[in-house]
Amino acid sequence: MISVLLDVLGGALLLLGLVLLTVSLAGVLRLPDTFVQLHAQGLATGPGVIAILASSIATEDATIITFAVLAIAFVVLTSPVAGHALARAAHRLGGRDARGTDGGTDREGDRPPG
Amino acid sequence: MPAVIVVPALFWVTLLLVAGGLSLVRARDVLQRVVALDLLATIVIALLALLSYLRGQAYYLDAAVALALLSFIATVAAARYLDSGGPFG
Repeated sequence: MISVLLDVLGGALLLLGLVLLTVSLAGVLRLPDTFVQLHAQGLATGPGVIAILASSIATEDATIITFAVLAIAFVVLTSPVAGHALARAAHRLGGRDARGTDGGTDREGDRPPG
Repeated sequence: MPAVIVVPALFWVTLLLVAGGLSLVRARDVLQRVVALDLLATIVIALLALLSYLRGQAYYLDAAVALALLSFIATVAAARYLDSGGPFG
C-alpha cells in the first residue's frame, strides 16, 4: 500500500521535473537574448532537477535517498548563485534586451564592487 | 521505482540532452553558450539520477553531486572571467 503510494508520488514528481526541464530548454531555444534565456534557465531548471531528485523516495533505498537529498542541497545552494553571476556578467557586458533598451540604469562610475 | 516509469523518463531526458546540444550550437555569444552548458550539466544530473533509480545503485548520485559542484564552479568562473576580463581582475 505504502509502496504503491510512493510509486505514484515519485512518478508525479518525475513528471513535474521533466515538464519543468522541457519548458526551460524550450525557453533557452526560443527566447531571443541572454537575459530572458537566463530567466527561463535559472527559474525552471533548479526546481525541475530538484523534483527529479526528490522522486528518489519511490526507490525506498536509504543510500539513494541520502545522496539525492545531498544533491538537492547543493542544487538549492548553487543554482541561484550561478544564475546571478551570469546575469551580472551579461549586464556588465552591456547586454541589451530584444527591444534594444539598456538592461539597467547604472552608469559606468557606480558599478558595484567585486 | 518501477522500470515502466523510469525507462520512458530516461528516453525523454536523452532527447532533452540532444535538444540542449542544439541550443549550444545555436548560441550567438559566449554568455548564451555558458547558459546552454549550465543547462546541459543540469540535464546530465537528472540523467544520472534516473540511471541510479533504474539500477538501484547510489554510485551514480555521487557522480551527480560532483557534476553539480563542478558545473557551478565552471559557470561562476566563466561569468567572473567575462565580467572582469581576467580571472583575478
